[in-house]
Amino acid sequence: MSSDAGSIPAASIIAIGTKALSKSRKRNLIAALFIFFLAILVFSQSLTSLKISIRDYEQYGRVVIESAAPLSYHIEQYTSLFLVRFRAEGNFTIHRESFKSKYVKSLGWAKGSDYYMLTINATGPDYSFESFTLTNPHRIVIDIHLPEQSKEDLPPPEKPKRTPQPRTEEAESQIESKESPDRQQDEVEEPSAPSMPPLASQALRTIVIDPGHGGLEVGSKGKFGTLEKNLTLPISQKLKAIIERNLAYRVVLTRDKDVDVSLENRAAIANNNRAMLFISVHVNGFPRSSARGSETFFLSLNATDEESRRLAYMENNSSDIESKISSEDEDDIMMILWDMAQSAFIKQSSELAENIQQELNSLLGTRNRGIKQAPFKVLTGVACPAILVEVAFISNPAEERKLQTEEFQENVARAIYRGITNFLRNYSTE
Amino acid sequence: MDAKKIIILSALVVVSLILAVVFFRSGGEEKIKHYLDESFQEKDNLSEESLPTRSITLYFLSEDDNYLHPEKREIVDHPSIVHQAIQSIEELLKGSQNGLLPPLPVDTELREFFITKRGIAYVDFSSEIREEHLSGTSAEMGTVFAVVNTLTYNFKDINKVFILIDGSEKETLAGHIDLSRPLVPRYDLVAN
Repeated sequence: MSSDAGSIPAASIIAIGTKALSKSRKRNLIAALFIFFLAILVFSQSLTSLKISIRDYEQYGRVVIESAAPLSYHIEQYTSLFLVRFRAEGNFTIHRESFKSKYVKSLGWAKGSDYYMLTINATGPDYSFESFTLTNPHRIVIDIHLPEQSKEDLPPPEKPKRTPQPRTEEAESQIESKESPDRQQDEVEEPSAPSMPPLASQALRTIVIDPGHGGLEVGSKGKFGTLEKNLTLPISQKLKAIIERNLAYRVVLTRDKDVDVSLENRAAIANNNRAMLFISVHVNGFPRSSARGSETFFLSLNATDEESRRLAYMENNSSDIESKISSEDEDDIMMILWDMAQSAFIKQSSELAENIQQELNSLLGTRNRGIKQAPFKVLTGVACPAILVEVAFISNPAEERKLQTEEFQENVARAIYRGITNFLRNYSTE
Repeated sequence: MDAKKIIILSALVVVSLILAVVFFRSGGEEKIKHYLDESFQEKDNLSEESLPTRSITLYFLSEDDNYLHPEKREIVDHPSIVHQAIQSIEELLKGSQNGLLPPLPVDTELREFFITKRGIAYVDFSSEIREEHLSGTSAEMGTVFAVVNTLTYNFKDINKVFILIDGSEKETLAGHIDLSRPLVPRYDLVAN
């Protein structure tokens, strides 16, 4: 034994092994095989294969995602886009059957930091969906219905529809669905004529104003105890009033009282209302009282976003899906960027910021700190031109006093309003 | 007997190779490389005075223009980049020697630090960075980019910085600046 050990590196472990083996070769071979299969098992578990198929039925389009193991998932809807997220470790391969559907235009597949995302691009906005799971084999079923064709397309201007959260559904992966896949459709019989999305001009355009902070989230604090959240709300309300008085726009506030609203939901409110502009109102803070002035921000893009785009764009796990990417990959890119939706509007956002900053300078008499870019969480998911105004410094006692006055708040609102109108004059969509 | 041994040995080698492959594959690319390895621990016990020093640039906030201003500092030129980066953050936390403002709340402590293969530095601060922060966009920008700029400017192995608080990822620092993804440096925030 000892003579062998000298000639073999990694001596000790192997030596123990050989000693044991020489006693009973059979038993050890079995052990080795066992380890081998265990290894294969570990390896195979890190690869999950998904099969996606789409079929049209009379009333709906059905997307079925089949997998070997139950998956936990989460669906969000943004107008015509359905995002199905899978929390996942390891790797996925995806197999998609080619399809032709009057409900689904295209599919995308994206990889995030710790999730995978299937994006389903519907053929029109405001479709509704239902989802449930089936077992044996494990399937997630998503049925996509056409929107109900009715006057309800136009929300009453008095009571803007507020849907603070994207529609979500959590899978109870273990629980079997109570519904059978071919359950009766006893919903209202709708003539399934090809739906036309409502004309943009028919609907009142929406501007979403976001009073920063609220509830437990107080924001910055002034020397006299003023809280940022208590200044952003009255300024936003004044701005809403001015816009509604003067422009044919519907204005939605992300909060109209002192409540917590998550940053994601603020963006979702804008997207769900198909906002045309998003204005976030804030008051600045700095560690010394000398800092003063007004500035307008728009989102800064990280080089990181470039990376996530690259990552997201279907890591060529499957040649199958690659071969089927058609001329519609444009849609896929758009979808994949959704949690960075604002990146598509950076140019318009910078113009909006410029227009607003100009008016703040001429109306407020505060120091001009210019327009800047910053990574604001609240702006990243907003799918329209979006800016964040830092009206003045709450940490500066002189400005804190000013900020508390009705007159100053009114002036801020007027300045932002003028900035908006200047921007709208030059900005035409659709 | 010898032939048998060789067969068995090679079988073991094959199995261990497979295990190794499986281990590394399932780890994924983004497996964080914790640089606080043995060599680092060993060298730490050596007297640091024997090592040469190098000059680095820290970024502090100025009261006058609210921009970041550079300040030179000498640190031990340790063979481990992680060691050097930790020294830089500790120096940043100690504050300016020229009367510039501390960009982070004074009680903040560095909890953990590591670098991934892709050049993302994970900097984990104690909860004071958030709880004692006075909030406000300019204040938060100062904090975040003092850290990000200091790390990326001095170490070419670091190109992005992910700030964690109390060991976990946070949505924002104190209500404004996004901490949910790694940040690239902003030299436009540095006074010239």
